[in-house]
Amino acid sequence: MKKIVIYKLKIVGIALLVLGIYSCSKEDINLSDLNETIFVRHKNADMPAYIYGNGSEKVFLIILHGGPGGHGLQYRSRSFRDEIEKNNAVVYFDQRGSGNSQGNYSEDEISIDIMAEDVLALAKVIKARYGKDSKLFLMGHSWGGTLGPAALIKDQGEFTAWIDVDGAHDPKGFYNKYKVVLKEMADTQIVLGNSIDYWQNVNDIVQNIGANYSTDDFFKLNRAALAGEEKLAEDNFIINGETDFEGNPQLNFITVKWNSNGMTNILGYKKGLWRDVSYTNRLSKITIPSLVLFGKHDIVVPAEYAQEAFDNLGSSDKEIFIFENSAHSPMSSEPDLFAIKVIEFINRLK
Amino acid sequence: MKKSIIALLLVYTMQAHSQTEDSSFLNRTEFKVGYFGNILWDNGLNLGTEYVWKEKEKLKEKRRGQKTITKQLLLNGSIGYSTNFTSQTDNGLTTYLGLIWRRTSPKRWQLNFELNPLGYYRAFLPETYEVKGNEVSKVRFPGRSYYAPSIAFGIGRAREEKRHSGWYLNLNLGLRTPYNAGILPVFSFQYGHRFNLKKK
Repeated sequence: MKKIVIYKLKIVGIALLVLGIYSCSKEDINLSDLNETIFVRHKNADMPAYIYGNGSEKVFLIILHGGPGGHGLQYRSRSFRDEIEKNNAVVYFDQRGSGNSQGNYSEDEISIDIMAEDVLALAKVIKARYGKDSKLFLMGHSWGGTLGPAALIKDQGEFTAWIDVDGAHDPKGFYNKYKVVLKEMADTQIVLGNSIDYWQNVNDIVQNIGANYSTDDFFKLNRAALAGEEKLAEDNFIINGETDFEGNPQLNFITVKWNSNGMTNILGYKKGLWRDVSYTNRLSKITIPSLVLFGKHDIVVPAEYAQEAFDNLGSSDKEIFIFENSAHSPMSSEPDLFAIKVIEFINRLK
Repeated sequence: MKKSIIALLLVYTMQAHSQTEDSSFLNRTEFKVGYFGNILWDNGLNLGTEYVWKEKEKLKEKRRGQKTITKQLLLNGSIGYSTNFTSQTDNGLTTYLGLIWRRTSPKRWQLNFELNPLGYYRAFLPETYEVKGNEVSKVRFPGRSYYAPSIAFGIGRAREEKRHSGWYLNLNLGLRTPYNAGILPVFSFQYGHRFNLKKK
């Protein structure tokens, strides 16, 4: 009897040991079909990274959203969700103070410098979680095209390549460029007979803008550019972008809008993003392979910045592609072609 | 400050308890359970209790007879959990303590106004990694705590002499602070039912 009890106790002990080892071992991650949310804690901020797609080759495309104050999941539409995610994993990241990010910090801790460090922290977390052999492609859209270069100039060793999508590498140049491109676009549309009242109003706005930078005037121009692109789509001058992104059900609109306004106020009004910041002269420090993608009719980040980015990047391996029927968001206007260009670039370098 | 307000509320509760004629704790206490959230993104459950601190009845002579309007000041405590079922980024526990002013009409319709100066919100985060320099470590029990005062107003209806003593529908406006570099406003609805354990 005693032997039986000891035998059973041994069995139970071994079972517990096996269970213990199993529970302590690294969790299984289904790399081929990733669907998870992790947070990055860095300098008093907790920032979510929503990771989807095929990570079987440990290739990750990190998206830096626009704004400032946008959010990562706003990009999870057809181009990324249905095409790029099948090729590689995509990391939709909410930057500090944006989307569903949380934290407790002062306005002093909202700066391009610290946000660039956040991006590098995200890269470290991805490599810690999925393996040091992970290959990271960094993509920045619009304001993400300011933040991306800021991060890469600090440390591009973490990344395999850089993809600039209608990126704002020269925010302080916008004020004067807006006046030119908005007038050009307004004149073109008036000649074509498209939304004449709107474009005449845009010409009036441009004429009444002061010669020297003011943030209020900047936003008048910026709003005219954003609304102008909607008119271009309505008039079929560009392809109307898709709006089937998946962010809606997952994000509290009030939180996202509140955070967006906060970031615009801090970085735009208080810290002079569009008055003082330019990376044009520092793009030469980026030497990893780079791809520049721009919509031909972009007036939010004027399209002539595409060539400027391409010319100034220090990479010996660099490409540029202009989407003929797009404005500021080619991933929405020409989603299939956009996905092809991104996948080709990634697959060549992975 | 917070400790002083809690102490003050406790003292007032004890005073009120000792001064009232109907001083049975259970006779002056109701429990409530209900929905808590904004329907679109966050949804959850709330449990709470209300204690009648002050009560004033006003009799009005009408053509059809006397009508009674009751005004109450209640101590209010609540705890709830809400989450966004489609994401893992909005899970949290809310708890608050405050006062309710309530007017009950002769037909038992109620108006509620809540002031909850003592509120706490605990956000629960999914897997979180902390980066310090080049070190990456996994955070145990990741989350964040916020001071979360709130106000609410709404309607309801009482039931007389029933265990299930009424329902309420409130719009709640809360704040979470410090949240990022400022505060976060949070809107939610509260719909629920009140119960009592009064001696029959």
